[in-house]
Amino acid sequence: MASSSPSHSSDTDERSGTDTTDVDVREIESTSDADEHDPYADEKPKDDGFKFDGRLIRRIADYLKPYTGWVALALTITLGASLLGPIRPLLVQRAIDNYIVVGDLEGLQTIILLLVLALTGEGILKFAENYLTQYIGQNAIYDLRTAVFRHIQNQPLQFFDRTPVGKLITRTTSDVEALSNVLSSGLVVVIGDLLRIVFIAALMFYMNWVLALVTLCVMPLMVWITFWFRKRVRVQYREARNQVSRLNSFIQEHVTGMSIVQLFNREDEEMRRFEAINDEHRGAWIQTIFYYAIFWPSIQIISNLAIAGVLWFGGLRAIAGSALTLGVLFAFIQYARMFFEPIRDLSNQFDTLQSAMAGAERIFNLLDDDRSLQDPDDPVELGNIQGAIEFENVWFAYEEHDGEPDWVLRDVSFRVEPGETLALVGATGAGKSTIMNILLRFYEVQRGRITIDGVDIRELSLRDLRRHIGLIPQDVFLFSGSVERNLTLNDPEVTDEMMRKAAAVVQADDFIEKLPNGYQQDVKERGASLSHGQRQLLAFVRALIYDPEVMVLDEATSSVDTETEELIQEALERLTEGRTTLAIAHRLSTVQDADKILVLHKGQVRERGTHHELLAMDGLYRKLHDLQYAADTQVHGDGEATRDIPAAPATPEESRA
Amino acid sequence: MGPLSRLNHYFWTYKWLFIPGLLCTMASAGFQISVPSVVRQTIDSIPRFVQVYGVFEGTIVHAQIYSYLFGTLLLFAGAIIGLSVISGLFMFLMRQTVVVASRHIEYDLRNSLYDHLQTLSPRFYQEYSTGDVITRATDDIEKVRRYIGPAIMYVTRSLVMVLTAVSVMFIISPKLTLYALIPMPLLAVSVFFMARMVHWRSDRLQEQYSKVTSRVQEALAGIRVLKAYTREDAESEAFDSESEEYKRRNLDLALVESAWRPAFLLMVGISTIIVVWMGGRLVAQGTITIGNIVEYVLYVSMMTWPVASLGFVITMIQRASASVSRLHRILDTTPDIADGPQTDESITEVEGRVTFRNVSFSYDEEQEPALRDISFDLLPDQTLAIVGRTGAGKSTLVEMIPRLLEPSEGRVEVDGRDVRSIPLETLRENIGYVSQDVFLFSDTVANNIAFGKLDAEDREIVEAAGEADLLANVKDFPNGFDTFVGERGITLSGGQKQRTSIARALIRDPRILIFDDALSAVDTATERNILKSLRERQGSHTLVIVSHRLSAVQEADLILVMDQGQIAERGTHEELMAENGVYADLYEKQLLEEEIEAYG
Repeated sequence: MASSSPSHSSDTDERSGTDTTDVDVREIESTSDADEHDPYADEKPKDDGFKFDGRLIRRIADYLKPYTGWVALALTITLGASLLGPIRPLLVQRAIDNYIVVGDLEGLQTIILLLVLALTGEGILKFAENYLTQYIGQNAIYDLRTAVFRHIQNQPLQFFDRTPVGKLITRTTSDVEALSNVLSSGLVVVIGDLLRIVFIAALMFYMNWVLALVTLCVMPLMVWITFWFRKRVRVQYREARNQVSRLNSFIQEHVTGMSIVQLFNREDEEMRRFEAINDEHRGAWIQTIFYYAIFWPSIQIISNLAIAGVLWFGGLRAIAGSALTLGVLFAFIQYARMFFEPIRDLSNQFDTLQSAMAGAERIFNLLDDDRSLQDPDDPVELGNIQGAIEFENVWFAYEEHDGEPDWVLRDVSFRVEPGETLALVGATGAGKSTIMNILLRFYEVQRGRITIDGVDIRELSLRDLRRHIGLIPQDVFLFSGSVERNLTLNDPEVTDEMMRKAAAVVQADDFIEKLPNGYQQDVKERGASLSHGQRQLLAFVRALIYDPEVMVLDEATSSVDTETEELIQEALERLTEGRTTLAIAHRLSTVQDADKILVLHKGQVRERGTHHELLAMDGLYRKLHDLQYAADTQVHGDGEATRDIPAAPATPEESRA
Repeated sequence: MGPLSRLNHYFWTYKWLFIPGLLCTMASAGFQISVPSVVRQTIDSIPRFVQVYGVFEGTIVHAQIYSYLFGTLLLFAGAIIGLSVISGLFMFLMRQTVVVASRHIEYDLRNSLYDHLQTLSPRFYQEYSTGDVITRATDDIEKVRRYIGPAIMYVTRSLVMVLTAVSVMFIISPKLTLYALIPMPLLAVSVFFMARMVHWRSDRLQEQYSKVTSRVQEALAGIRVLKAYTREDAESEAFDSESEEYKRRNLDLALVESAWRPAFLLMVGISTIIVVWMGGRLVAQGTITIGNIVEYVLYVSMMTWPVASLGFVITMIQRASASVSRLHRILDTTPDIADGPQTDESITEVEGRVTFRNVSFSYDEEQEPALRDISFDLLPDQTLAIVGRTGAGKSTLVEMIPRLLEPSEGRVEVDGRDVRSIPLETLRENIGYVSQDVFLFSDTVANNIAFGKLDAEDREIVEAAGEADLLANVKDFPNGFDTFVGERGITLSGGQKQRTSIARALIRDPRILIFDDALSAVDTATERNILKSLRERQGSHTLVIVSHRLSAVQEADLILVMDQGQIAERGTHEELMAENGVYADLYEKQLLEEEIEAYG
């Protein structure tokens, strides 16, 4: 499905027709209007009147600052182009009156030469202006887009728990696109058009002020009809776009749920509903056609009205003995037709500015709400660390409920010595993943503190902290692209050697090299999908590349085939060897081999000790142990819905449940 | 033009819009093209008028002459305005017929596409992604519409304009006409190439736009990984380079588009200059008048757009042709699951017996079969439970009962008859199906429940919601049953969704009720409630239940334990416990689980 069309088309469509008064290119080529169905579209602009927010415009204009020089150049060029255009009718007037009428063909040639020069000059300048404004705009848009992306990425996880991904995508894509017209052509075009109108008027007055007045008489009419049309069509387009998105969501939904439609024998009823929506969609467009059908003929009539006026008045004046030449009549006929274009451009600009405002407002609201974790001013630097981890009376809640924090961890304390393995055991929702989340400082603890080698993690830079901790989530998230990209995560500092070495440690190199394209294999390509076990191994390699002192791992619950199972088992041993390890254990062997086991229940540490000590206790651990490990390898349930753990509760409801 | 001929019957359907539309197009072009000659006459008359007026200067008739000339000039001006008003009127009618007709055809085309989509089985939807189908239903249809409406309108108009203008011009001066037309073919050709370039480059731009979008989407989906490895900066840089590429393609396109208007300007300008230059010489020779020059300039500028639009229209037609082919790839797909000659229309009721006879199934010939040799016989009002791990083939099995899938080998029977002989509508009417992936429509809760039964009464909706243990939740919703779910409404939890879809199945009061892992997201207490209300209905339907929780299946008349597409164990709960196999083992584990849940 085509997502909302990039900026260029609506603008350029408007610009592509020249002085033809009868055809709208928009209708021929306006992909942007018909296709603007953004699946992620939200917050439809509700404005009907024009809100001119100076503060907002200044902020938008700030993005042009780096290109001040270019803007100045573009303005100069525009000035030139706006001057050269209206000069041509003047030259033709000279050609007719001074040379053709008197039969001076020599002189005619000179003026023809001037005409050709003016024309070529205007063409070149116009081209330069068009391209230059696009160049400026696209660069400014690039700056804005990447700034928005960076900003979003730097937000803490809480932000992502709260904000739907779709909304953020809209901010970085279509909202930014909406601004691109304003940034590219906005200012320059407005000034250029105003200049053109002024020049045309000035030249007309210079030639013949009476005829100038006659011609200018129809201008208000033209301005009025153009802006009337714009306004109507804008409202109508919005309506049409609404209909398009209704139609799209209907199709989207019914194609996705087609088997439900069929199972419940709803074909006839859904067809009826589709027809109704389709009918409204058609109606909205037919209404749009109506406005176009009024607009184009009106423009044609009005410009012919000007011509008729010029001829009639001019004729009468000539009869009355005023020195009116044929050349002047000719020039005025040309001018009458030249007026329309800048007026239409201006009304377009007015329109784009308006739609840009809504997008700009959303973007700046996003940028202004910065909650990224700031690194401490003077972070403690960790060199090579030992890897001692300590939780001291940690309390943590993902969110508050009626002003009361919903504690997910209550007063959790434990210490892991360098090189030790700590196994976290507990039922779903006991707080195991949360411990990992806060150790990596994805979230800030409310009370208590966490230290690494005795240093509070809040005194470290995030980068320093996380680079000493390798995280292996339960479900491996793979980015599209090659195996290599997924292992190095685009870090230029990771050498090929580092990657291969890490792969060798966990023996992932075997299967990677067997892939059709080895490390360059695209992981999402059809037919080359990786098995669960292989994905796990990739996650191991990813974590190992930086050779971290601490390993945090959430074992996968789902059983993999026995071959890979052995491979993973072995890999796990190598992975944790000599490293401080925190593991959410799902395999008996991992738990048995752990130096310490922490049994969590509802956010509290219930039991702690070694495997044997805990078994002897005959408490919760014993029960969990019997449940999870007694009948290993037997038929499992499908497993609970797995998240990309460590993860916050997906919805507030779940966390409270 | 091949594929486009498949659209011809639409033209026929709307002939009463097209025929007058095309006539209006011609009339509008004709009237418009006559304006310049009036302008020429006016211009040429003015010097004569001045002369005549000068001759009568000081005579008695002077005032009369003035009013006569005044009137004549007014007549000329009136003619210009009148002609353009008439032309404008026809232009209005042209748009209101031809372009409107294209919207009607678009409407019909989209209806028939959707209608056809509804007949296609899940197999089709596995092959075509949702996005693909949507593109066809929107983009492709839009491209076809542009061919039907605007393209045809422009072609007609252009031809009339060009032919008339050129003939009139030729009559005046063949020589000047040839000179004036020199840039025209160049214009048509260059527009054609430019349009092609613009299309090509905007497709490439669009491609990159999707890339940028998916890049953002992916980075945000994988934000935890990125943060864990502090790769935000690297990701930003990667995003920078995608944006850079996007910018580059944007500028590539801008380059062509920036050249577009200046090129146009040059062509028209050159024509005008040639007319003035060559025309000037002809005027000096006395062959033509100055009014003719003005007339020519007007013709040339009138013709420019039609000539240029031909270049556009060709690419439009090319694209429309490709789109029609794409559309027909869907429209030509014959539904593989439908009533046919084997259908016995006399069957109007379903008793509820379900029999599988040596059923095997594979999604794809090269793949391992998803089901192998499945046989069982379930009498009306009995309960069948199916357990087994993911991928064991449980869903595949139950999907065969309502004929969402058809067996590759063997036979599925309902009431002892091959399901293929039962009219599809009758079969499905009697089945209440709750699928594993709950799908609700963005509509109200009430309408989602009533989806199972057209014209369901409020009482029935409440009843079904009650049986699905949903009432208490509905009371908490902002607007009760009228609350919207989905994107534009509230987000239901997994359990609430499941229960809504259960209510949707129950409201049909079906003979066969199928629960495909439909209780996975509800807690045990709720599960108990739902099962209780189902049991209270016992005797009124056959129940097929796929579940992980053995608590839900204990009372079934037959339990199948599936493994790798085959039945590993079968029997009642007691029999399977006695067998002490996979089932018994699973049961033990689940008991423990419940205990832990209750712990502390």
